[in-house]
Amino acid sequence: MTKTGMIEFRGVNKWFGTLNVLRDITLSVEPREVVVVCGPSGSGKSTLIRCINGLETIRDGDLTVDGQRLGDPATNMTRLRTEIGFVFQSFNLYPHKTALENVTLAPIHVRKIPRAEAEEAGRELLAKVGLADKVNAYPAQLSGGQQQRVAIARCLGMRPKIMLFDEPTSALDPEMISEVLDVMVAVAEEGMTMMVVTHEMGFARKVAQRVVFMDAGAIVESGTPDEFFSNPKTDRSRAFLSKILRH
Amino acid sequence: MIWQQLQSIAGSYPLALRGLGMTVVLSLISLVLGTLLGFGLGILRTGGNRLISGAIGAWVDLIRGTPFLVQIFLIFFILPELGIELDAFTAGIIALTNLAACFICEIVVAGIRSVPTGQVEAALASGLSRWQRMRQVVLPQAMRIVLPPLVGQYVLLIKDSSVVSAIGLTDLTRVGWLVVQRVPNGLLVFFLVGLGYFIVCYPLIMLARRLEQRMGAAHGEVQL
Repeated sequence: MTKTGMIEFRGVNKWFGTLNVLRDITLSVEPREVVVVCGPSGSGKSTLIRCINGLETIRDGDLTVDGQRLGDPATNMTRLRTEIGFVFQSFNLYPHKTALENVTLAPIHVRKIPRAEAEEAGRELLAKVGLADKVNAYPAQLSGGQQQRVAIARCLGMRPKIMLFDEPTSALDPEMISEVLDVMVAVAEEGMTMMVVTHEMGFARKVAQRVVFMDAGAIVESGTPDEFFSNPKTDRSRAFLSKILRH
Repeated sequence: MIWQQLQSIAGSYPLALRGLGMTVVLSLISLVLGTLLGFGLGILRTGGNRLISGAIGAWVDLIRGTPFLVQIFLIFFILPELGIELDAFTAGIIALTNLAACFICEIVVAGIRSVPTGQVEAALASGLSRWQRMRQVVLPQAMRIVLPPLVGQYVLLIKDSSVVSAIGLTDLTRVGWLVVQRVPNGLLVFFLVGLGYFIVCYPLIMLARRLEQRMGAAHGEVQL
């Protein structure tokens, strides 16, 4: 068997009822690699990354994450999830907890880190995402961009090996997008293995090693950002790019 | 004449106090046990196990769909036939606790289902166990929905406790029956019995109203 990547899809299929949402996905993501996934809505990109931490289950094929095969009885899914950060489009911060409590909840209860230590690390992380002054704020008191940065800090608090981003800036007002992207660039530059579903092509050009283009549940095209943006190979990717780059 | 009757009633105040005490003790024990059991059932009902969930659902429907008086009779008169001897107090506690648990279960289920799935997914994604997700993320948010109807339900259950007088427990209602045999003025006696219940229930009614206002305001406000 050849060397396996950090995330390894082999012939993965998934259906929602009769809808084939993932078709024969084969994709390998190396450690420290940043992969941007794009494509029209409904193309299966969110489903693709949601499978990686088991928020969705696959019907057939093999999906191996950090050397552990998903769906294998020997794989402890709860434990594996602690190694995978997931950033949601709608942030999903815990509304009844402060920014700091959002960040420290899993480290304290899952990693069993002493509270004082976890809080110190949490403050550092919030400072890192530019929110040192919002430590005690509740999510409803924060802007969308600030909430998403707390959500990223919440993931980083677990010191994950992989981070997944599901359209992290799509729910944000335009002026807040860059503050979130800046944090994501910083995380990428520290060597995090990342899969990012996004249409932010500036981000892709800056930090991605690879862009994967999906349509109708299948990976249609995959290449470096330069190749993909300047010389898309398929009609579908050309049509998609002309739509998102026109404005 | 009414003065004589009032004096006569006043003379039986030790009995009335005992009845009121019985009503309060019975209600209090059943509500505490019923709340614990109701939360447990509600959590299991929303859990992944279809068999357990279905069984709880069926039991709750059965209890909600039959008169409480019938349930008490079944527990007090039928269980001894099967060799389970119960005194009236224990039977009353069991029946009331069961009733409370079933209604509270439904309230808790509604609360848990009101928490957005994104919250559970976030908790799941950060590796929290099933119990941790419930304890740290779902229940605190569900409580906002649960609390006002829960307190309202307590009021209903305190009043339902009057049915236990049917199996001979000397609660407030039964004291009414006893006194009215001596003082032939049902209107007066049961007015006072009703007043007794009202004194116990009214603070809870006020609490439920305040909670509802607070929760209602919290929806529109910035801070949760």
